[in-house]
Amino acid sequence: MSAAVQGSRNTAIALCALADGSETGAGSHLPTEKPEKKMSKRLISITAATGVLLIAAFNAQAAVDADAAEALAKKSKCFTCHSVDKKKDGPAYKDVAAKYKGKPDAEQKLFIHLTTNPKVKVDGKEESHESPKTKNEAEIRNLIGWILSR
Amino acid sequence: MFKKIWAIFRERFPSRLKASLFVGGVLFGVLVVSGLLVTAGAAGLAWTNTEEFCTGCHEMRDNVYAEYKGTIHDTNRTGVRAICPDCHVPRPPVDLIKRKLRASFELWGHFTGVIDTREKFEAERSKLAQNVWRRMRQTDSLECRNCHHAEKMSSDLQSDKAKARHAKAKIDGKTCIDCHFGIAHKEPAGPGPADVKLD
Repeated sequence: MSAAVQGSRNTAIALCALADGSETGAGSHLPTEKPEKKMSKRLISITAATGVLLIAAFNAQAAVDADAAEALAKKSKCFTCHSVDKKKDGPAYKDVAAKYKGKPDAEQKLFIHLTTNPKVKVDGKEESHESPKTKNEAEIRNLIGWILSR
Repeated sequence: MFKKIWAIFRERFPSRLKASLFVGGVLFGVLVVSGLLVTAGAAGLAWTNTEEFCTGCHEMRDNVYAEYKGTIHDTNRTGVRAICPDCHVPRPPVDLIKRKLRASFELWGHFTGVIDTREKFEAERSKLAQNVWRRMRQTDSLECRNCHHAEKMSSDLQSDKAKARHAKAKIDGKTCIDCHFGIAHKEPAGPGPADVKLD
């Protein structure tokens, strides 16, 4: 979950920079504008960006669509090797969530794990870890958010 | 006692022909009636093995049946389906009657409302699943094998992963349900089939 918040914060910061950039860009095209007015404009954009940040953070908290995540996991046959709370050939999602709890790079690490078919050991033998059956990155990140919030 | 009945019988049917006709008639009647009873019983039993019957109560329809919808055993490329009794009722006659008798206790559960709300069902889910898993382990997944014949499973048509796992399961003496659980219904939290204690 914290990873999801982290991710959205990055987005919000980027948005903030964007708002800031466009504002200065507009300023350079309009040199006659009074600095006072420019200040207030800047203030507005900062306020707006903060708002965006807050909304994004809030959304990230509530954003994990559990039904969609479970459906994707089912479709991708994740549950063949993983269970939410039981150890199968792969670790239980609860254990995965516990392992990555409080680690800011959790989402990215799992994203790499899920999308690059890394070798995993099952019963002493190496085999490729499958990827979720979707091309949509947001769906995969939602699945990761769901796993991390188990 | 018997002599008395015999005396009345001889009195009522003095001629041998009439007596044999009467006895024959009674025997025939008994035969017809029992035949009808057996047919009705079999038909009744068969009726309890239909999808309509199984989803006749909301406990089944809104919980386990709703979850089963869309799974591989409900719909697939060939349209060959496994409905409730295919997985939950044994086919050998004696086992079938035993299971049906046990299932009649579920009526008690229905009328006392053990799982008459979604919340109550969720609270009982793990326990109910364990009942099924325990039976499956005790019978070496009998119902799975109604359709899935181990000796006819072509490993050539299986993925490498499945092949390796099936080979290992055979060595470890595992049965279907040890790995294939939570397939037609949601997997409950709590112990899995492998953790269920057998009595």
